[in-house]
Amino acid sequence: MVSDSIINASIPVASSNPKDFAKKKRANRSAKLKQCKLDARREQWLSQVKNKGSRQELNGGGGACGQGMQVTNERGQLMEKLAIKPRGEAEENGGYTSTYNDFDSPSNSPTSHTSSLLEGNDSGTNFTGGSSSSNSSSSGGCCSRSMSEEDNEGDDDCLDDWEAVADALAATDKKQEQLNSSLDSAPERDDNVVHMSSQQEASDPKVPAKDTSQQNPKGRGAVPGSPVGIHAWRPNDAFRPQSLPNLSKQYTFPMNSGRHYRGGSVWGCKSLSIPTSCPICCEDLDFTDTSFLPCPCGFRLCLFCHKRILEDDGRCPGCRKQYKHDPIEGETTKDAGCLIFRAARSCSMISRS
Amino acid sequence: MQASRARLFKEYKEVQREKTADPDIQLVCDDSNIFKWTALIKGPSETPYDGGVFQLAFSVPEQYPLQPPQVRFLTKIFHPNVHFKTGEICLDILKNAWSPAWTLQSVCRAIIALMAHPEPDSPLNCDSGNLLRSGDIRGYQSMARMYTRLAAMPKKG
Repeated sequence: MVSDSIINASIPVASSNPKDFAKKKRANRSAKLKQCKLDARREQWLSQVKNKGSRQELNGGGGACGQGMQVTNERGQLMEKLAIKPRGEAEENGGYTSTYNDFDSPSNSPTSHTSSLLEGNDSGTNFTGGSSSSNSSSSGGCCSRSMSEEDNEGDDDCLDDWEAVADALAATDKKQEQLNSSLDSAPERDDNVVHMSSQQEASDPKVPAKDTSQQNPKGRGAVPGSPVGIHAWRPNDAFRPQSLPNLSKQYTFPMNSGRHYRGGSVWGCKSLSIPTSCPICCEDLDFTDTSFLPCPCGFRLCLFCHKRILEDDGRCPGCRKQYKHDPIEGETTKDAGCLIFRAARSCSMISRS
Repeated sequence: MQASRARLFKEYKEVQREKTADPDIQLVCDDSNIFKWTALIKGPSETPYDGGVFQLAFSVPEQYPLQPPQVRFLTKIFHPNVHFKTGEICLDILKNAWSPAWTLQSVCRAIIALMAHPEPDSPLNCDSGNLLRSGDIRGYQSMARMYTRLAAMPKKG
């Protein structure tokens, strides 16, 4: 069951790695369904835990709370720093819930993963922290810390890899790492879930909040590219859905403004602030026209008007100086065309750089 | 033909959009012919034309904007560079210094600037030019002010 779920989990991760938004959307939809299932199962399972509740102590410690716990703890603290869950609880709580969100939100695969895990764990042998409702979070934190120190030797590579993931930005590495982590921390994840559910059990009023927090990253639907670089995109992903487009806008904005500024500095604001149409004939400039810079003064116009001006008096409308390639144009039109085009290209390159 | 029409349409839109941008210039397109425009410009302050409103007639050639528009004063004006009878304007940007980047609006601005800064060395109105060239600033100003009051100001009482 667990292995099945892992395979299920790994497939959407791999599929969502390329920027295939359609697939992602589909995956999101299916993830919503899975989330519904998960909720239903959690309720079922909560009632079971409530029944068992008081007689189970923290027996899930041992090796089960291994490296994955530590990893998630790290990540949880990172998340806390980003104030994704400004809740007045212990660090561990925020950490777990947010890591859960983290795994949940980007690639839907963890949903199926956890749900199937829940299903697999329904036998209830593994339910830790069911009884000590108020202590569960802190004890979980202790457990995870001790376990992390214990397991450091055994899973050094994994930890190193995760640190590398935190640092590196290579998407392929992250892909691998996520798969690895999902494989490695599979037994621990359900511990997290158990903790979560124990929290939920302990503090019922928080349940809706948690649920909404889990739903939120789904409800916004897009979550693009997040499974590729969880560390890179996590702040945007978990916190605000609009921030991704905003970021891209910010990327394009300075370029545009720079170009505008350049244009304005070269030639007032009239002719270059409207680079989409020729200032002479008011026709739209196509790509050839926009890359055509016939005069060093920076006055742009379409090739058609330029040709007409060359036939007329051959002076640049911007600076009223003679166009430089006039005589060549008079001799052989082909060469002139090439020359003009080359000059335009180089000029545009200069103005852009 | 088509280019000039498109260009004039664009200028028309621009004028409609920025009607209040320049209160000294009112550009109006002929109802039936986009190649005929009229403009009302206010005489610049601190000149003998202050307080007057002068009407200009634009005749836009089909080669516009490669060819400059033909502009003349419909309002009588005493100015060295404006023909007193025909209203023809001697202005370099309307002749050889024309640039297709200019617009009718910018032509109006240039004419206002010309009113403030006459060029007596290339006169169309020899009387006015001679007054200025001989240094009779006061004579020029009084003549110009008189014609402004006669022709460019609404009649009072």
